[in-house]
Amino acid sequence: MNREDNKIVAFCCEHSAYQAANKAGRTRLYYPDNVRIIRVPCAGRVDVQHILKAFEKGAAGVLVMGCQEGACQHLTGSTRAKERVKYAESLLKEVGIDGGEVRMVNLAPDMAQRFIREVKEMAEKIEGR
Amino acid sequence: MERSSLVIGGGVAGMAAALMLADGGCQVYLVEREPSIGGWAASFCCKATEVCTKCSVCLVHQKLNEVASHPRISILTNSTVTGITGKIGNFRAEVFQKRRYVSPERCITCGVCAEVCPTEPKAMYLPFPEASPYSYVVDETRCLRLKGESCNLCQERCPTNAIDFRGRSKRQELSVSTIIVATGFEVFDAREIGSLGYRRYPNVLTGLDLERIFNREGSLKLPSNEKEPQKIAFIQCVGSRDENHCYCSQACCKYAMRFARLIKYQNPNTEVSIFYIDLQTAGKGFAEFYEECKESIRFIRGVPVEILEVHSGELEVKFENILEGKVNRETFDLVVLSVGMVPRKDSWDLARILGINLGEYGFFSIQPLDSTETNVEGVFLAGTCQGAKDIPDSIAHGMAAAKRATEVLARCK
Amino acid sequence: MQVRIGIFICDCGKSLSNIDFTKVRERAEKFQDVVYVDLSSSLCLEEGQKNMLSAIREPDINRVVIAGCSSELKENVFGKALEELGLNYNFLSLANIREQCSWTHEGDVTDKALELIRMAANKARFLQPVEKNYIPVNKEVLVVGGGFSGMKSALELSGLGLRTTLLEAVLGGKLGEFESFYGIEATPEEMLSSMRKAVAGDENIKVLTSAEVTKVEGQAGDFTVSIGRGEEKVCQSFGAIIFATGYMTEILPQDFQLKPDVNIISQRKLVEMLQAPGEFERRPRTIGFVLDVSNENSRLPVLSTLNNALAVKKRLGSEVYVFCKSLKVDSEGVEKLYREARERGVVFLKFEERPRISKEDGRVRVEARDLLLGEEVTLLCDFLVAEEKVLPPEGTEALSSMLNIGTDSGGFYQDENVHLYPVASERKGIFFVGGCKGDSDFTRISMDISSAAMSIYKLLCPGKVMVEVEKVKVESERCRACLTCVRVCPHGAIQMVRVDTEKEVAKIYDLACDGCGICAAICPAKAIRFEGYADEQILAEVEAIGESL
Repeated sequence: MNREDNKIVAFCCEHSAYQAANKAGRTRLYYPDNVRIIRVPCAGRVDVQHILKAFEKGAAGVLVMGCQEGACQHLTGSTRAKERVKYAESLLKEVGIDGGEVRMVNLAPDMAQRFIREVKEMAEKIEGR
Repeated sequence: MERSSLVIGGGVAGMAAALMLADGGCQVYLVEREPSIGGWAASFCCKATEVCTKCSVCLVHQKLNEVASHPRISILTNSTVTGITGKIGNFRAEVFQKRRYVSPERCITCGVCAEVCPTEPKAMYLPFPEASPYSYVVDETRCLRLKGESCNLCQERCPTNAIDFRGRSKRQELSVSTIIVATGFEVFDAREIGSLGYRRYPNVLTGLDLERIFNREGSLKLPSNEKEPQKIAFIQCVGSRDENHCYCSQACCKYAMRFARLIKYQNPNTEVSIFYIDLQTAGKGFAEFYEECKESIRFIRGVPVEILEVHSGELEVKFENILEGKVNRETFDLVVLSVGMVPRKDSWDLARILGINLGEYGFFSIQPLDSTETNVEGVFLAGTCQGAKDIPDSIAHGMAAAKRATEVLARCK
Repeated sequence: MQVRIGIFICDCGKSLSNIDFTKVRERAEKFQDVVYVDLSSSLCLEEGQKNMLSAIREPDINRVVIAGCSSELKENVFGKALEELGLNYNFLSLANIREQCSWTHEGDVTDKALELIRMAANKARFLQPVEKNYIPVNKEVLVVGGGFSGMKSALELSGLGLRTTLLEAVLGGKLGEFESFYGIEATPEEMLSSMRKAVAGDENIKVLTSAEVTKVEGQAGDFTVSIGRGEEKVCQSFGAIIFATGYMTEILPQDFQLKPDVNIISQRKLVEMLQAPGEFERRPRTIGFVLDVSNENSRLPVLSTLNNALAVKKRLGSEVYVFCKSLKVDSEGVEKLYREARERGVVFLKFEERPRISKEDGRVRVEARDLLLGEEVTLLCDFLVAEEKVLPPEGTEALSSMLNIGTDSGGFYQDENVHLYPVASERKGIFFVGGCKGDSDFTRISMDISSAAMSIYKLLCPGKVMVEVEKVKVESERCRACLTCVRVCPHGAIQMVRVDTEKEVAKIYDLACDGCGICAAICPAKAIRFEGYADEQILAEVEAIGESL
């Protein structure tokens, strides 16, 4: 990956975001093609090292997408993911990874429009840099 | 005794019952009238703001996936039960499956048939994105071929030969030990209260309309001009707690408040008011949510009797303000009628086939202390066909019905 | 053993026209460890699968990548197909080139499709086998709580053929607060008594009175429960546990600034009085009920008020007034009860601001502004039945902490998360029913009890449960016994076990594990491996992005 490719790595929880992405596909709604979805069993599986590795390998943006807070099948997964994303954000600032954008998104399996909006917003943000 | 059960209705209660039964070792036949299981709630929307508001719509999607892949559940869609003979432990159910021109076993949903379909709107469609079975369906009222014209475009282009216009309807007989009725409800037709202007004024919607709009679009715009609504009124108890419906529909106050919060979350400047008689705020975790609602939503005690469209296109709502003891008029740009649940009109048909009684209000409810029971041994009720309830209670009810059915099977092993 | 990957690509009936499949096939053949690439037009159908299966045999493929649509249904089918060939079902890696690629982007997406396939192939290189096996479960169930909910739970479990031990300090419960259930012949006392009899006569149910749970260890299928009975302590194994510990009521919480006395009574006291009307010096002329003062979100007080108000009308013929704010009618049959009460002459006064209650001449004075009349109303009653606040039972905090199970914002079981509806807890095999879950009504409580019984039946009845063996596993040599995973696991599936005289390590119990991976992410020593989503597998996917195609 090169930073110019503006790739976005989206870690998607299989109970929510992965299904929302499928729904977006089934309703033929378009979004930028620089997204790469990696399926995880719960947003809480995503570790800071996974996020950092994505940037190390050249990603421009990382999305961690899980269930709504309070609706996580594993109760605390979404909340933990949120904390880790915050921590990753602070690490990125410290280490000074240029233009790295990371964001936590909470949504439900029927929220295709929301999934697309988040991807588009991230794409716009990283393009701006 | 056959270790099998029939579940009539593939909505959330039917799915919950089928899953429990099947996990308990029973072979389940899930008969669904529509081309896809899922019921009403499959087209509803998540109402979370920053946190989950417990609407439980996501549970429906979860069940849809689980049912579709369960080895012991046979799903029969486009199907209805036309006759039942026998008795507990040994029922014989006659199931009529309407003809399906697209075979779900061969449809790979590539969508080419819909692309080439010449009608507008298309005669070839997908019921909804999460449909199960995930297969295209022909709308018989729009299909040119079925109307006698010579059109064969879809069949010619289908890469897997999934389309066959000689499709036949099918009758089959199922041998089952128990039956669970989970046929659901109908939404109160708000046109019955003419003075509320539903379907006359474009900016009067029902709660059901809102579910569909949010599910499809993710946000709410005025139907008349696509702008963001500035002032919204929710009217509770439309079709419930009146002379003809002496019951509370249980879901409406909650869904109105969840929608109100969702709308405020998306557009903090929109004013939202809820007109109510008695506000139903009981239930797990709801008290806190209600307190938050009080901060940003205007609750007005008094139910409106009339809505008029005024020249500016706004809606004037006439209501009795009980606190002040007088009649007020106030304008809003969008009104949402929180419609309740009513029994299905074809319940009596099924009641006749099964030999079960209808309760007082047309629902199947007969017994207050055991609401899964009917007057026929071996036939149980699950979900809103027994009486109005929300999604979580429908799931619990489905599970309870499954337990009753399993008891029968356990006894006669 | 050398990894040999076979990639099977589906062009979905040749409809994915924005992907150049010839180019994809050419390039994919060059990916690391790939020995075979095939293209199909309907991989999910029978003919497509037959071809795939015969293709796998030939070049001795041992890892399979399927690039096609995204459907959970198809995943199961493919997994089974692999098993038929003697390949582990976990050797399957999927690339979604339809819903998440071809269908959602305009223009040519060949490069993205290739990348997705490469990600899946790279992950496949690290996939390890996962075995499935049965573990035996104990079919005995423990029910804690001998009130209506506890007894009914035990009876329903017995009806399903499960043996139950019913623990209680005292058999009884809260039904005594209802004089009668409107429309039902049997009185609550009769119901309770017939239940007690049924429980006593049921050979599947063993009752332990004056007993309580002191400790619960283990996991679903094999909970080791320590039970204390006075001086005695026993340890027994159970497959599942239902807690039906009921609720408490507090009459006249601080808000009222009054204390219960001769005239300000509880529902239970009213019931006692109604059952012995001869005790009255003279028939009370006016009885008032008050609701919605300290808690406007409760159903149970409404139920008892409506039932008991009708009972007063029937037995004593007194005037009855009910002060309330917003009547909770969202329970089965309550609207009808409300109508009936009004038809029988019970007067409902709805207030917005809380009523002022005081004593006057040995009677109780209630002042409130009635909304419908629009006026201040003053009522002097002989008795005022005060609002009762529904509270979690004593010991809830201690019990939930001992069990490592959460409570909701009101302090009741269970956590509010929708996935726990209606009766589950975050620990598999432990259920909560009845009033201990919070304010409810009898229909809902009955449904809860049946749901719990069915959930337990489904879990325990076969006597064994199939699990994925060590899908998430602690590598003992690396475990530093920091207990982080034990504390963090939302399902209580991890416990410390002794491996030798010196060392304790964490162990993940397969039946209780729900496969979230939170432990794997948090372990500071990276000692936990989650097969299928292991670190090297996720990182392999990340690394495959953007590698030159």
